[in-house]
Amino acid sequence: MKIEWTKTAVGRRGFLKGATALGAAAALPMGLGGRAMAAEGGTLRVRSYGDMQSIDPAFSKGVIDEEIHASIYNKLIQYKPGREWDWQMDAAAMIEQGDETHINFALRDDIGFTNGFGAMTAEDVKFSFERIVDEATDSPNKPDMGPLSHVEVTSEREGTIVLKEPFAPLWSIALPYITGNIVSKKAWEAASGKATTDPLAESGPYLRDSWSPKEKTVLKRNPDWKGEAPAWDTIEILPIDDENTAEIAFEAGELDFTRVSLGSVERYRAGVPNGGTLLEYPSLYYAWLGMNLDHPKLQNKKLRQAIQHAIDVPSVLEAAYFGAVEPSTGIIAPGLAGHRPQSLVPPQADFAKAAELLAESGETNVTVKLDTLNKTTFTTAAQVIQATLAQIGITVEVNVLESGAFWASADNEDLQLVLNRYSMTPDPYYATSWFTTEQVGHWNWEQFSNDEFDKIHAEASQLTDLAKRDEMYRRAQDLMEESGAYRFLTHEATPVIHSAGVVPALRPDGLALLRYFGKA
Amino acid sequence: MLLYATRRFGLALLILIVAVTVMFLMIRAVPGDPVQIMLGPRATPELQARLTAELALDQPIWKQLLIFYGNLMQGDLGIDVFSGRSVTEIVFQQLPHTLWLILGSITWSATLGIALGAYAAAHPNTLIDRITAAISVSFVAAPAFVVALLSLLIFAVHLQWFPAIGAGEGFWGRLNHLVLPAFAIGLSWVGYIARLVRASMLEVMGESHIRTARAFGIHERRVVMVYALRIAILPVVTVIGVGMGFLLSSAVFAEIVFARPGLGKLVIDSITTRNYPIVMGSVLISTGLFVVSTALADLINAWLDPRARNAN
Repeated sequence: MKIEWTKTAVGRRGFLKGATALGAAAALPMGLGGRAMAAEGGTLRVRSYGDMQSIDPAFSKGVIDEEIHASIYNKLIQYKPGREWDWQMDAAAMIEQGDETHINFALRDDIGFTNGFGAMTAEDVKFSFERIVDEATDSPNKPDMGPLSHVEVTSEREGTIVLKEPFAPLWSIALPYITGNIVSKKAWEAASGKATTDPLAESGPYLRDSWSPKEKTVLKRNPDWKGEAPAWDTIEILPIDDENTAEIAFEAGELDFTRVSLGSVERYRAGVPNGGTLLEYPSLYYAWLGMNLDHPKLQNKKLRQAIQHAIDVPSVLEAAYFGAVEPSTGIIAPGLAGHRPQSLVPPQADFAKAAELLAESGETNVTVKLDTLNKTTFTTAAQVIQATLAQIGITVEVNVLESGAFWASADNEDLQLVLNRYSMTPDPYYATSWFTTEQVGHWNWEQFSNDEFDKIHAEASQLTDLAKRDEMYRRAQDLMEESGAYRFLTHEATPVIHSAGVVPALRPDGLALLRYFGKA
Repeated sequence: MLLYATRRFGLALLILIVAVTVMFLMIRAVPGDPVQIMLGPRATPELQARLTAELALDQPIWKQLLIFYGNLMQGDLGIDVFSGRSVTEIVFQQLPHTLWLILGSITWSATLGIALGAYAAAHPNTLIDRITAAISVSFVAAPAFVVALLSLLIFAVHLQWFPAIGAGEGFWGRLNHLVLPAFAIGLSWVGYIARLVRASMLEVMGESHIRTARAFGIHERRVVMVYALRIAILPVVTVIGVGMGFLLSSAVFAEIVFARPGLGKLVIDSITTRNYPIVMGSVLISTGLFVVSTALADLINAWLDPRARNAN
């Protein structure tokens, strides 16, 4: 093949003229006034802090995927938007606790799957729930289903969820969250049980219209949806990991709803641009300072207690979280069973008491290492802790770690003090699960081991008596604090802003329930 | 020229192999269990063990490297463990966004930089030259992330001329979304290229063939634009070739600040999550781009100026 190059007859003058004209033509229609604003044309634009990973609930990676799943699939029950944790019916026309291990349900008769996979039946519920706990599925979300045994199908749209033992989180995690999404048995079987990023069959008020990786997920109204009509024709979910970028995009009118940084809360309290509104929600996260009970430097309980009393939590929160969060009393957030109204060690430092405990410990010239993530919030908190402990003569060496190295701390035998933060789902069982003896060497980095705590964790999740559960989980946190291995800091917060035309529907921890978002 | 090109691309391939091997070893030297990070705390030990075996992480590093190159020979960059999608598909989905960004940045910065540099060289030691020098140095000194944030606040939030986030749809939409990020990462290159062209042109203007051209009575503008600039521009070609690597790194934060999809952001996300297959796939492609662009720049230089290839 012969390729012939020919000269283009464009002179210098011609080129310059053409380039100038092209530049002007390009700039005018695009840049000046050619941009659609958010919330126009029935399109809601919301920010997600990451991109979708899987369309399969069995392999969902958490809230990012769930924002989409909850809109395109149905569950028997869904979280109710508001300030109190509660649930409401979704695909279930009826659901009731038969006895401690049996939950009876009846499905609505007007929900169907797309792509010709027919009506939603009890067989679909059975398939969806049982595949999560099936060893062959290898679902990382299996623990959320707890002791699920099986689902008995009693008629086309009726069945019974059977548990091996009572499991209270079924109502707060298993059914209304990730594992509760009901998929089409026929669709999944037709695809040999595998779905990655393209929906096989959807049933919710929205359908996933398109997905541009790292760029945008577009949901469109499901024309066959027979339930209450969703408010928005289209929802665009934009993955933006940087909160500052999201705030700028909101101010530029390109987003209708986003979580904002804690550092911006004070500014937004004074007013949100474009007539928007700031909403402040508590978060379920919990941050604390942990002490490794197995480390030779920290085996003296009086020393640990001295450290607990010498840390001034309000100062830490003021510096690291811009004062936009409240001190926590434990690992269980307000609004959940087991939340303690106050901690045993008050949040304010008591340097006199701390010095007294240090003297009683007999330890002198104490130098300890504090490991923390390389995030500004944590490094700032670590520096404040370093300063406050210095007041009683304890020297702290701050050791800043990159995320991979930090999360490998279970293998770090030299771990001494650690600033840590875990996320959780809305049930106390999830929080206590990381501090049992079984978790030593995994996620229990303090090596905390207490028989009574383990017993509470094992038994409280089986109780349906809320008052009893509340009492037991409070006691569990007392035990943690009494060990001297924990100084609870905060549950953080979820500040969000939304534009004037949007009525957001949020969980009590500020996370979005997109299918319920309304128009002002 | 053919021999030169063969040698140059042979060297490029060798550089690519060394770079990818070093990156492979480095990513495995970073502490942290990738399987634990990938699957999260709730994964069963059985699932963790299965994924460890699937990724060959239970094998010695030299064997992992051989497996990697073995798969690479078959065009297989592996599977993203989070989504189960092909790494090749993911990388090539992100690549065009980054290429657009780099090409956009180079195009505008080279055009303006060459014009400024040529103008300054044609009017040395005048007020215009000094103003051009001040502008060029300011541009070089301006950190790209500051330019990015300021341009966002001015042109997206305040004036609302350009979009703040995303990559846009359709040709005009993509071009529109490209303006601010390309401006942000290209600005310092304007100053750099302007200084380079000015210095290079002043040197060329003193050469004998320029004196000869002037002696023949050729118009000064033609002498500058055709005879001098054509040779003075040669270092710019090399700089642009090498600059691909720097622009790739600038693209990382531009993609974060402007919430754009792209290879840079993909690499950062993947390193944070220890997503080995994606990291290696992205590094391979971006290193390949850098090596190829550098080699192409050398070839263009050698083609334009035979002295360059004879020197090699």
